[in-house]
Parts: sequence; structure tokens; C-alpha cells
Amino acid sequence: MKYTPTIGIECHVQLCTKTKLFSEVDNDARGKEPNSCVSPVDYAMPGMLPRLNGEAIKFAIRAGRAMNCEINAYSRFDRKHYFYPDSPKGYQISQFYHPIIGAGYVELPSSTKVRIEHAHLEGDAGKLTHFDTYSLVDLNRVDTPLIEIVSMPDIHSSKDVHDYCKELWRLMCYAGVTYGDLYNGNMRFDVNVSVAPEGSSESGTRAEVKNLNSFRSAERAAEYEIKRQTKLLEKGEKVVQETRGWNDATGVTTGQRSKEEAKDYRYMPEPDIPPIHLSSEFIDEESAKLPLMPADYRKLFDGVIKSDILEVLLDYPQLMNSLRELSTREDGFLGDGSLAPVVTGLAPSSSVVTSGSPSKASSLVLLISNLFASVLLAEEKSAEYLNDLPTAAELNELAEMNIKKELSSTATKEVFLRLFDPQMKGRGAKQIAKELGLIQENDLGALEKIVDAVLAKPETQKAQADFKAGEEKVIGFLVGQVMKESKGKANPSAVQDILRKKLA
Amino acid sequence: MKIANKKVTAERLVKDALAKAKHFEDYHIFTFIDEEGALERAREIDKRIAAGEKVGRLAGVPYALKDNFLSPRGETTASAHILEGFTAPVTATAVKRLEDEGAIMIGRTNLDAFAHGSSTENSYFGPTLNSHDRERVAGGSSGGSAVAVALDIVEFATGTDTGGSIRQPASFNGIYGLKPTYGTVSRYGVVAMASSTDCIGFFTKTPDDMDLLMSVAAGRDPKDMTTLPDYYNEDDSQTDLSSTSLTRSRLYGARSLRTASEPSGTRSRKDCLRIGIIKEFDNESVHPEIRRALKEKCELLKKKGHEIVELEMPALKYGLAAYYILVPAEVASNLSRHDGVRYGFRSEKAVDMDSMYGETRSEGFMPENKRRIMIGNFVLSSGFYDAYFLKAAKARTLIVEEYAKAFEKCDFILTPVSPNPAFKLGEKVNDPVAMYLEDVMSVSLNLAGVPGLAIPAGETPEGISLGLQLVGPRRSDKALLEFAKELE
Amino acid sequence: MDIKREDIKHLAELSEFSLSDAEIDSLQGDLQGIIGYISQLDELDTDNVEPTYQVFEMENVWREDEILPQEADREALLALTKETKDNQIKVPKVL
Repeated sequence: MKYTPTIGIECHVQLCTKTKLFSEVDNDARGKEPNSCVSPVDYAMPGMLPRLNGEAIKFAIRAGRAMNCEINAYSRFDRKHYFYPDSPKGYQISQFYHPIIGAGYVELPSSTKVRIEHAHLEGDAGKLTHFDTYSLVDLNRVDTPLIEIVSMPDIHSSKDVHDYCKELWRLMCYAGVTYGDLYNGNMRFDVNVSVAPEGSSESGTRAEVKNLNSFRSAERAAEYEIKRQTKLLEKGEKVVQETRGWNDATGVTTGQRSKEEAKDYRYMPEPDIPPIHLSSEFIDEESAKLPLMPADYRKLFDGVIKSDILEVLLDYPQLMNSLRELSTREDGFLGDGSLAPVVTGLAPSSSVVTSGSPSKASSLVLLISNLFASVLLAEEKSAEYLNDLPTAAELNELAEMNIKKELSSTATKEVFLRLFDPQMKGRGAKQIAKELGLIQENDLGALEKIVDAVLAKPETQKAQADFKAGEEKVIGFLVGQVMKESKGKANPSAVQDILRKKLA
Repeated sequence: MKIANKKVTAERLVKDALAKAKHFEDYHIFTFIDEEGALERAREIDKRIAAGEKVGRLAGVPYALKDNFLSPRGETTASAHILEGFTAPVTATAVKRLEDEGAIMIGRTNLDAFAHGSSTENSYFGPTLNSHDRERVAGGSSGGSAVAVALDIVEFATGTDTGGSIRQPASFNGIYGLKPTYGTVSRYGVVAMASSTDCIGFFTKTPDDMDLLMSVAAGRDPKDMTTLPDYYNEDDSQTDLSSTSLTRSRLYGARSLRTASEPSGTRSRKDCLRIGIIKEFDNESVHPEIRRALKEKCELLKKKGHEIVELEMPALKYGLAAYYILVPAEVASNLSRHDGVRYGFRSEKAVDMDSMYGETRSEGFMPENKRRIMIGNFVLSSGFYDAYFLKAAKARTLIVEEYAKAFEKCDFILTPVSPNPAFKLGEKVNDPVAMYLEDVMSVSLNLAGVPGLAIPAGETPEGISLGLQLVGPRRSDKALLEFAKELE
Repeated sequence: MDIKREDIKHLAELSEFSLSDAEIDSLQGDLQGIIGYISQLDELDTDNVEPTYQVFEMENVWREDEILPQEADREALLALTKETKDNQIKVPKVL
């Protein structure tokens, strides 16, 4: 019998507001001393009251709209009670009864839709470090604003688990609500997996794998759970509803014997924070701040950039933005701006390809995107490359030279890489190409002189004779000789033409 | 009240207060006395007065601070073992505003631990004695503060009122005690009992003193999101009602002092008010002496040309039950932070996490704290939330509406504060429900967020103080004090 | 409703109290009485009544997203706790 997995995902996103959710201390504790970003409020001293950060409300609106979600006009906070040293107040301030973000959906590159049940604002917990006889408490992370995104169980493969997590990450980064720094736990995933016999109406018992902090581990954990649960069912055994932990090293999930299951959080409306009542004007104003989203770029570059390459580039909002700029340039030799209407959404994306032969702008974008793709796919520290992008003008200039054949493809890539080089930054493609002596010799007069010089050399006489006798392949040797003479600056195809004329 | 000047020095005022505090030591009024600090600050003020510098409106006035207000002066214990050793690195907004005007805290006063009680018998430091009868309770939870003012040790004292903790001890000791409109004085830096009903207020010997203190302490505080704009010091208390629609309807009754239509004849509006008497609070369950006091005041009011109207407020009958569901829920929540991890007491038996929590909280809390925390966790626990917490929250709506309706029929309400005058020490301390029943007339104001002023109303033949409370619509605090002068 | 010893134990667990048998006994009596009293709310008809959680008159109270100096710094806060190590709060082993 075949089994189908059903998967729902809860994702915690740390918001990159300047200050915490309930106090005016620095919210970015990355690389900071323990307990150095803690206010008396975060420390939960008696008599301390929350002081709500309005920016977090605005971020939540943007995050919600990025997932095509309803924004609820009325929302309020609740207290979720549990005792643990990482929870100073003895409760977490969350939104249980009236979350700010309502239903919506996320569309994966595969165009699979995953519905969002709701998403809510809450405060993060502190950090515990365990030693053999004691534990240490660092409260830096306490009440860092989070939004918890709860999906519907619409995912049915571990690959979609990966794609969903990654798309969420992109959406949140594009919306500008998080640093998206997975290494520092800016996004954490809880994956709920159940399997049931194919076609059966009711879904199986689910197990939840908590605290996965990469797309890959989310995917692998789901993969493992699907296998584990399927095996159990095949053996006629039952799946236990439980919380499981993931070990990235061993690639195994294990049941967590904790009070978790028995927990009764005793949710209670938060009496220290007045309710939130948002006007549609306020919501629209925030929504309007959203930039183009991955889905928009997919439309925009549909038929221009190969989708597998585009999916690589999409991880870099900044890059996508300069590609967009590039595609709409008015000036410069390729600036026919034929993509502009698409960007501003005035024409359907199809116009890009259907406008006869791909527009110049399109081929420009294609060239540049290929350059980036080759770098990103090859380079380990690809992200670093994108911290400080070359300007659209520099890229345009580079493309011009390539298409005018002033640069060979290898030279183009060489110059492209130097555009990121701190030493050479800002000098522009042409200047760099000159300094590196990479500009191809296209002056036929000059080339002819070099060719004559080569043909006059004794060591080329035999080859010339062989060619005239009909030995095609020696032309390559002769071209090589000319290239050598020109120190690699000659345009090889031009050289060949001249040789053929002279030896005809 | 006596403000320091060139003739009467602050040092003199403070020395007198300290001497009286010493004299009444055996009443267990104070949990801490700041002799050195108080004198030092007094001399500072005298220097400035001598130098002709400007000094605050409360220059050199000695006062007593209920021991659940945070300030670096002495430990803040809330009369609970679990806060042992806690000296706050911050200052409550109310304290800051008083001291910015020159008021001088001479000591911290005893209370029922975490303000859980109506007698100050639930204190880790033992009970405070009643100012008129040492056999009897001081009332509570702000017992120490009330007695400190009643015995004339200080000019005024701070208090907190979650269900009557200012008004009841004030009436048990024959002084004035104001529970302001919810949100009038910042709760920042005051150990929370129940966030949605906690109010910061004062004990004084006259309505004028109370008015002065309120004008100092009232107003919005960015550190407490539930503080109102400073309506108290603004002429038009309708200002800044920007926020919500439900707001206005709940604010003033149709006939608040300011909107009262001019009565015919020559009398100014203030001469003719309608005073409501709550039918449900005038029956044999109320002590005869208190009923007598209420009648006398009504007669006095009629003589002064005011009108007495009888109100039926059936929902109030359920106020106490609703209160003892909603408040314990917030209490359980607010006291979760006392876990032995970050401050205060940690049990010696704490060998692992569970024992750190379990032993610390068991040794650190008083029996009444435990009762309320467990009741709170009961009414919030799965399976009981709807039947208890949610039900009580709905009952609260009915109570809010009932007050709004009442204030369409009258300007103020005059009721007893409690069904009985000060009872004997130990009489009720082991019977929680009997103790709770003493709050039946005070808690509904907190649920509705309306202001209440305890006023003296004579004594019983045996010399036990009697008090009544004047209740007004939201934000009528100033008018309430003004009117109270007529009943002096 | 009838409050049993098990109920008291469960509530003690939710409240993080480790109670002696004597305490459990007395609390059982006390809570029985209190819950008996508050249960009188059953009589009250609250159909179609919206709950009230706060009697504060305003909504949308929030602050600017700006870092401000705090009243107490790390040293002042950590000075309040029993034991610290490397600027962290030291607690008995968790689990």
C-alpha cells in the first residue's frame, strides 16, 4: 500500500526592528555580550509593564501582505503561561485569541499553493546554556519581536517543505521585516508530519519536529519522519502524537520525553496592553511599502532568464532590484527599456518574449544574470559578493563591451569579478579592462600587419603550404601564432577571416 | 497639610514624623524607616528654602510609602518573604512625581503580602493594629499606610486599590482614601496585583490634601500604556477622548457635574445634585451603625438641597464572584515572575529547576497568596476557562453598563465601603470566604474602573471608626473631592 | 463542583508549589469554599454579552522604535540575583 504524507509548518521569524517588542533596548543582540540588551521590563522586575513597539505592528502588516494575508482590523495580546528560566515573566506575550494576521497563502516556485492559517505577533524567549551541574541564563533575546506563521497542512513532499521554508524566507527578506540570518536563528521551523494510506479520508497521527533552523534540515527531518511513520504503519504499529527533536549530525529525530504534552498554557487576555484597532488607511499605507516580491520578478523575467538560474538569483533581493533597473535603463546603448512596462505592471509579462526577437534589454539582463549565476554557483561566499553590488551603469558598460566584442567571454567574466574587487571598485568596466589589457584588437588594419608578420616567419611556411594543399585544421595553428604575436588581444574570428583571404 | 518654609523647617517636620513613628512602633505600621535618608533630604530642602530657591509643592512634607512601590530607598518587599533582599534599581513614577515636588518618604508601610487581603493580617511581618482600637484590624491591604495617616505620623501615605485596599482601611481608620479612575496614576514601578483593576491612590486627612496630591501624581506615563491623558489637571475633562467610540458613553453619566443643566432658581449648579443610594446595599446584612451613618449623611445632603435617588443595581450582586475569578487569574499570572531566578528569595532546597521553583514559591508566598494563585490557575485552566474566566468577564460588562446607567440617573453614588466596621484581629483570617465578603461593596468600582472616595462618617458608640464611599463616573475624581467637602 | 486532592495537586503543579500533605488538606477545604462561592455566577444570564477584559478607554497605544537609555543597566539588574557567572544568571541544573 502507498502512503501520502501531510505536512503543516509553523515558522518563527525574528523581526529586525531597532528595539524590542516591549522595551526600548537594542533588538540586534548578534555578537553582543550576554544580558547586555536587557531592560528592567525584559528582566521582568516587579512593577514593570510592557511598552509596545509600534514598528512591530507595521512590520506584521507588511509580512502579512507579503503572504497575501488578510490583516485583522482588531487584534490584541494574550499571555501564555509556563515556568522556565528563559521566560522571565513566567508567561510569553503572544496573540492567541485575536492575531493580527489572518488567512492567506504562499505560492511556491512549483506554483503549489500553501495556505496560511494565520500569523501572530509574540515575544521571543531567552537563551539557556546547560553545564553538568548548573545552567546559565542570557536574556538578550527576551521579547525580540517574532511573528509565528502557521500554515495549513497543504504540503505533501519533503521537497515542498524545503521550497516552502525557502519561499517564506525570501518573502520575509523582500518585505524587509527580518535580517533573515538563519545561522543566528532569525527563522526557525516546526514541522508537523503525518502519513496516511493513499486516498484515505482522515489524516494520520502527527508528530512535530521542533526548532529546525535551515531549509535543508527541515527537508531532511520531514523526509526522515515520512519514512519512520510509513514503516510503523506498514508494520501495523501506531504513530505516537509527540514532539520530536532533530539531530542534524545523525540525521535522526527522537521523541522528547518532556512535560510539553501535558502543558496547560492558561491563555489569558493581556491586561497591560490596550487592544489594537487598525484603520484600513493605516493598513493600506503600510502595505504600499512592500517592494516587488519574488512572484513579481518571476513574471517580470519570464522568458528572459532561465527559471533555474532565476531561482538562484532570487535569493538576493538587492541583485533582483539592480537587474530590474538594468532592464529599464533609458540611457546606454542597450537602453530600449522594453521591460519597463512590465516592471510598472502596465503590460503582461508575456510582452517580453512575444515582442519578436528577445529585446536588447532582455539579452543584456540575460548576459548579466548568467554572469551572476556562474559566480553564485561557483563561489562559496556568494552572499558576500552581493553585499556591495556594482552599479547598473557599470554592469551596462561591461555588457556593451562584451557585445561589441571588445571583450572575449573569459575577459568579460574576469572584468565582472573585478567589479566586486575592493581595490578596483568604482573604476568602471572599461577602465578595469584597459588596466588588465583585456580589450580585444578589432582594428583590421592593425590585425593585417600582425598576420603578414606571422606569414613572413619561416616556421609558418610549412603550415601555409599544408593549408593551401587543403589541410583545413592547420588554420588553427596559424590563428594561434597570430594570437601569440598579438599577446592575446586579437579577435580570433577576425584573424581567421584575414588568414583565409590571404591564403586563398 | 504643613509645607516646609523659613519658619517651619523640613527637618522639623521630618523629625516630628520620625518621633511619632517610633512612639507608635508597636502598631507594626512600618516595614522600613529611612531616618538618615529622610533627614538628609529634609536638610537639602531647608538649604534651598534658606537660599530663596524655588521648592516643590510638597516641599518637606513627610509621607509613608506602601511597601509595594519600587524605589531604591530600602527593600521593596510587598510584605512577602519571596521579595526578601530586593532593593529596586528603579523608582515608581508616582514616587518620582511626589519627590520631585519635595515630598520626603520617612518609611515603607505594612500590607497584606502582595496586597492580598482586607486586614493586613496576611503580612510576612505580622498584622498592623487599628488606629482606634488595638484589638481590631487596620483593614487592608494598605493597613500600614492608613494607620500612619490616622495616627498623624505623616501628612499622607500612598496606597494601591485593587478591590478596596485604599477605601476600606481608610474607613476603618476614619480618614480619606481615594481610589482614582482606572488609569489616572501610573502603575509603573508598583508591584502588580491585578493589572486591569489596580489603581494607585492616597490617604489624607482632608479632601484638599487629596486634591493637591492628585494634581501632582495624575497624568500619562510612557512607561504605563494604560495611563490616561492628564484630565485631572485640565479644565475640560472631555479632552483627548480621541480614541474610541465606546469611550464617551462609558465616561460620564449624562448628568455629570459639568454637563448638569442649571436647576431653576438662583442656586448654582453645584448646590443641587442627585445622589444615588444603592438599594441592594441597604439591608440587614449591613451593620446597623453603618446604615445609621448612611442615613445621617443622606439627611445632611437633603438639608443642603441635594436630591436622594434610590438606584437598583442588581448586577452588583455578582460583582464579588466576578472579582474573585478575574483578579486571582491576573494575580496568578502577575506572580509567575517570582521564581527565585532573577531577584528576591531563592530556597536553600533549590537543587534543580523543579525544586528552585517549587520550594522557593512554597516558602516565599503566604497562604492567601497561594490560595489566590491556585484559584487563578483553576479559572484559567483548560476546561474551566469558559465557565469561570470568560463568564466573569461578561459579568464585568454588565457591571460596567450598570454604572453607566446609574450615572444617567444621578451625579454621584453614596454607599458603605464594607458591610462591617473594623473587625477583631484573627476573627476572619482563617475563613477566606468570610474575609472576601467584606469586599462586597468595594470591588465593583474596580471592575468598572470608576473612582471611589472613602470619607469619614463618625464612630460607633464604642469608638470604632465608620466610613462611607462616594462613587462618581469615570474622570469625575476632581469633582468627587470638591463635593466631599460638603460632607466634612 | 467537588474539589479532590488530585485537583489540588494538579493546581499546585500549575502554580509551581511543592506542598506538604497538611497544606494540601487545608487548601482543599479553602478552595472548595471559594469555588463554591464564585460558582454562583452560573445564575447570571450572560447570553449575547461581550466580555470586558480592560476598563481602559483607549486603543492603539504604542511607542516609537527608538533605542533609549534604561533606568537600570546590566550590572544593576544582575546585582539582584543570587548567583551570576560570565554576566549570566546561574541557576541549578535544568532537567
